[in-house]
Amino acid sequence: MLTFMARRLLVMIPTLIMISVLVFIVIQLPPGDFLTTYLNELKAQGEAVDPAKIAFLRAQYGLDEPLYMQYIHWAWGLLHGNLGFSFEYNLPVTEVVGDRLWLSMVLNFSTILFIYLISFPIGIYSATRQYSWGDYGITLLGFLGLAMPNFLFALVLLYYANVVFGTSIGGLMDPEFINAGWSLPKVMSVIEHLWAPVLVIGTSGTAAMIRRLRANLLDELGKQYVVTARAKGLSPMKVLFKYPLRMSLNPFISDIGNILPQVVSGSVLVSVVMSLPTTGPMLLSALQSQDMYLAGSFLMFLALLTVVGMFVSDLLLAWLDPRIRLQGSISE
Amino acid sequence: MIDILRVRDLEVEFVTPHMRTRAVDKVSFRIGAQQTVALVGESGSGKTTISQAIMGILPKSARVAGGSIVFADPKKPGTRVDIAMLSANSAEMRAIRGGSISMIFQEPMSSLSPIHTVGDQICEAVRLHQKVGASEARNLAREMLELVGFPNAKSALRTYPFELSGGLRQRAMIAMALVCRPALLVADEPTTALDVTIQAQTLRLIKDLQQNLKMSVLLITHDLGVVANMADHMVVVYNGRVVERGKTEDIFINPGHAYTRSLLQAVPHFDMAPGERLTPLRDIKPRTDGLLTLVDKFDRKMARLEQQANAGPKHARMGPVAGHSTRDGVHGGAGADANSPPNYSADQANTGPDGAEPVNRRLSEGMRGEAVLAVSHLSKSFPVRKSGWFGMDERRIEAVSDVSLTVGRGECVGLVGESGCGKTTLSKLIMRAMAPDSGSILFRGESGQMTELVGLDEDRLAPYRKRIQFVFQDPFSSLNPRMTVQDLISEPMLIHGVGTSAYRRKMVLELMEVVGLDPRFLNRYPHSFSGGQRQRIGIARALCLRPDLLILDEPTSALDVSVQAQILNLLKDLQRDLNLTYLFISHNLAVIDYMADRIAVMCAGRIVESAPRASLFRNPAHPYTQALLNAVPYADLDHPLDFSKIIDGKCSDPAAWPTPFTVDRMSSPPMVQLAEDHFVRMSRPDYQEIAV
Repeated sequence: MLTFMARRLLVMIPTLIMISVLVFIVIQLPPGDFLTTYLNELKAQGEAVDPAKIAFLRAQYGLDEPLYMQYIHWAWGLLHGNLGFSFEYNLPVTEVVGDRLWLSMVLNFSTILFIYLISFPIGIYSATRQYSWGDYGITLLGFLGLAMPNFLFALVLLYYANVVFGTSIGGLMDPEFINAGWSLPKVMSVIEHLWAPVLVIGTSGTAAMIRRLRANLLDELGKQYVVTARAKGLSPMKVLFKYPLRMSLNPFISDIGNILPQVVSGSVLVSVVMSLPTTGPMLLSALQSQDMYLAGSFLMFLALLTVVGMFVSDLLLAWLDPRIRLQGSISE
Repeated sequence: MIDILRVRDLEVEFVTPHMRTRAVDKVSFRIGAQQTVALVGESGSGKTTISQAIMGILPKSARVAGGSIVFADPKKPGTRVDIAMLSANSAEMRAIRGGSISMIFQEPMSSLSPIHTVGDQICEAVRLHQKVGASEARNLAREMLELVGFPNAKSALRTYPFELSGGLRQRAMIAMALVCRPALLVADEPTTALDVTIQAQTLRLIKDLQQNLKMSVLLITHDLGVVANMADHMVVVYNGRVVERGKTEDIFINPGHAYTRSLLQAVPHFDMAPGERLTPLRDIKPRTDGLLTLVDKFDRKMARLEQQANAGPKHARMGPVAGHSTRDGVHGGAGADANSPPNYSADQANTGPDGAEPVNRRLSEGMRGEAVLAVSHLSKSFPVRKSGWFGMDERRIEAVSDVSLTVGRGECVGLVGESGCGKTTLSKLIMRAMAPDSGSILFRGESGQMTELVGLDEDRLAPYRKRIQFVFQDPFSSLNPRMTVQDLISEPMLIHGVGTSAYRRKMVLELMEVVGLDPRFLNRYPHSFSGGQRQRIGIARALCLRPDLLILDEPTSALDVSVQAQILNLLKDLQRDLNLTYLFISHNLAVIDYMADRIAVMCAGRIVESAPRASLFRNPAHPYTQALLNAVPYADLDHPLDFSKIIDGKCSDPAAWPTPFTVDRMSSPPMVQLAEDHFVRMSRPDYQEIAV
């Protein structure tokens, strides 16, 4: 088991290096760099720019160096926790990102929690009462949740909150806290605001999860070992929770790795619509303006989330399922 | 005697939105204390449904429509419970289920949860029905595992089912069912999925435990051999009804009902007179005069002509390769000719063979006995991957090792072995579905020459592919459900570009009659056929290229006995009428005995003994063959299983065989000749190794 963990961790290193190279190349792919974009903007506004100043800036930012040197600088900085400098904000990336990262994490983890909490009981209900009215009703709701675009749902929610209740549910906190330091009322305000984006972002995930849990569980319910458990005299509830439910968990655990980046990137549109102070919109603008270190940091963060998520799900799977843990080392 | 269980007029219905079916109709029987009652019937007879009703674990769509199941628990004297009246999930029913009545199932693999330890699953049963603590429960579980014969019960508690072999899994299952010492054990086909030696061990175990724990057993099975060895009483069910019940001896000696009689006659047994036939419920009379035999008649005429022409010396069979007047010569060109319509081949035939050698592959007397297939020293191993710190650690498992085998024309060679012995791998090697590591496969092709198949590339192999055809074990998954019967049977001809479409159409029609299917079914899909009918379609498909060699891989093991008898008879008739050559692979010794002329016994990738049918069964030399023969339950009361001869543990472990038979790293004995045609794998300096 320890060997397995160590090997998995070792594999993560080359994976992350590969990803960082790819990220860097992707960011550099559009012609020009941040300064050319900036120049064009200035020119469009009719301002004259001193070429000497541009050259100076270019040298200062290291944009005149060859690509691989730029990459080495960036990667070296990353290793030391230095995420680089954001051209657009004229600040170190760490400061630009700041609270946004934490707020995104809070939002996303709440969303995942929401998905699991809601979908599990409903999925189990739906599977154990297959083809009942309850099952059909939930199935219908699930399809609605799947079919409706998130941003549309966000808009609808914003509109009705405003028209019916007279409140604004945009943002993640009341406006007076936005630039204030962290305090208890600010935390409370975040919690108060959290439900709307969680609901919006989580609906489709929940619906998909219900469908999958239902299908998985239905498969497992028909298996022979369920009959064996019943023949032992276990009560139906205990049978359900100890055997088929436990068996149907595997796909969900192996999903952790996928769900993290999905939720992070999937919430960009919603964040824009609901003006959430999360990383999504910032990533979007950084990519547009070729603010390479900012964008690169975000993308690396996503990659790290995916890789770590995969690692965690692998560990959990091995821990939960003895077949995965032991079968590899069994001869014959 | 007090009855433990009395089932009276039990009716079970399956209710679906569209219809309601009565699966069990007015079934009555009783089980006395410490008695074994066998519920016998073929698939779909409702025997499993009856057991489910007794356990209260009927599927959702089924319900008890009438009758009673009165259970008198000997631990609570004087109480009677009607299980049929109890709700399936009531506390009372749950206490009976697993506590007083337990059940073991057919599939030991899927019946145990793969992700819980054996100990966990047994202790759960203990703690459900007895008020004991966790450590006490573990002790009880350990005791029970010892009782069912686990060598190291303590560590077995911590193993997972997938770490155990099939036999041990079934033992764990039995331990789990018996740990609460039930009054009645319901055993639903407990040994059907097991190998014959393991089956004998398991049957003995159930018998021993029954005495030990003083319980009754309801044995559900289709295997009359098991019934004869286990049951005091038997109940024969057919179509949801009891057709006969009574003492086992009475029924075996004097079966009252026609169905019981035909069941008994359908089972192959060892002391069948030569030429004696099984009697299936419905016999098929294959009609074999048409394209298949037309060619034969033509062949015979040709042969006669030739014999007259060259009354001179007979040439060696293994002559130089191509260019000679073999069938290829006759029809001009290798490949597609042998299956071309007989009318024009007859034309060409008259234009003259240069006829130095015997002409054809289905010649009658002169050619009988010549080898069609000669496999020698064939080996194949598979890598088993084990991941270490860096890279892979490769070990190899020998699936087939030093196998030599000859199949003569018109012969049926039986290959017996238990699961995992490599018999299917061997058949795949012969088919060249995979390439062997070493050894040679000589096959007599259309040219009449023995040709080495090993090392031929796909193009040069193609003509031989037609000559060897395969019938699969599972009639359900071996037919593409989206193809009609017409398409299924004619597909091999299409692949090999044989004949015109009119010829193919005619051939398919004829094959349908050959296997006894109504040609009107040609446009149906496989799902509308029963297992036996599907197997017949599979046989027709294998015959359509008119192969020299038919490899039959467990063709009847998925079928009921009466259907099995039908298929076996069909295969026998076809062999006689069409002069076919079979390599018949099976784990069922009685079936092999019925079909084969010569038998090879295979174990752990090696052939350990091979002999003509009669001498193998009369005079088995190898310990493994003896163990196999001792383990077969006869459907005959005069030949009870001798449980004292059944050794526990794996008799299929070559390292555990006594000298001179031992096969391990130190010694790998060759095949030596004991008597004419009787070969055994052993190391005896006084015998020479014989090239088989």
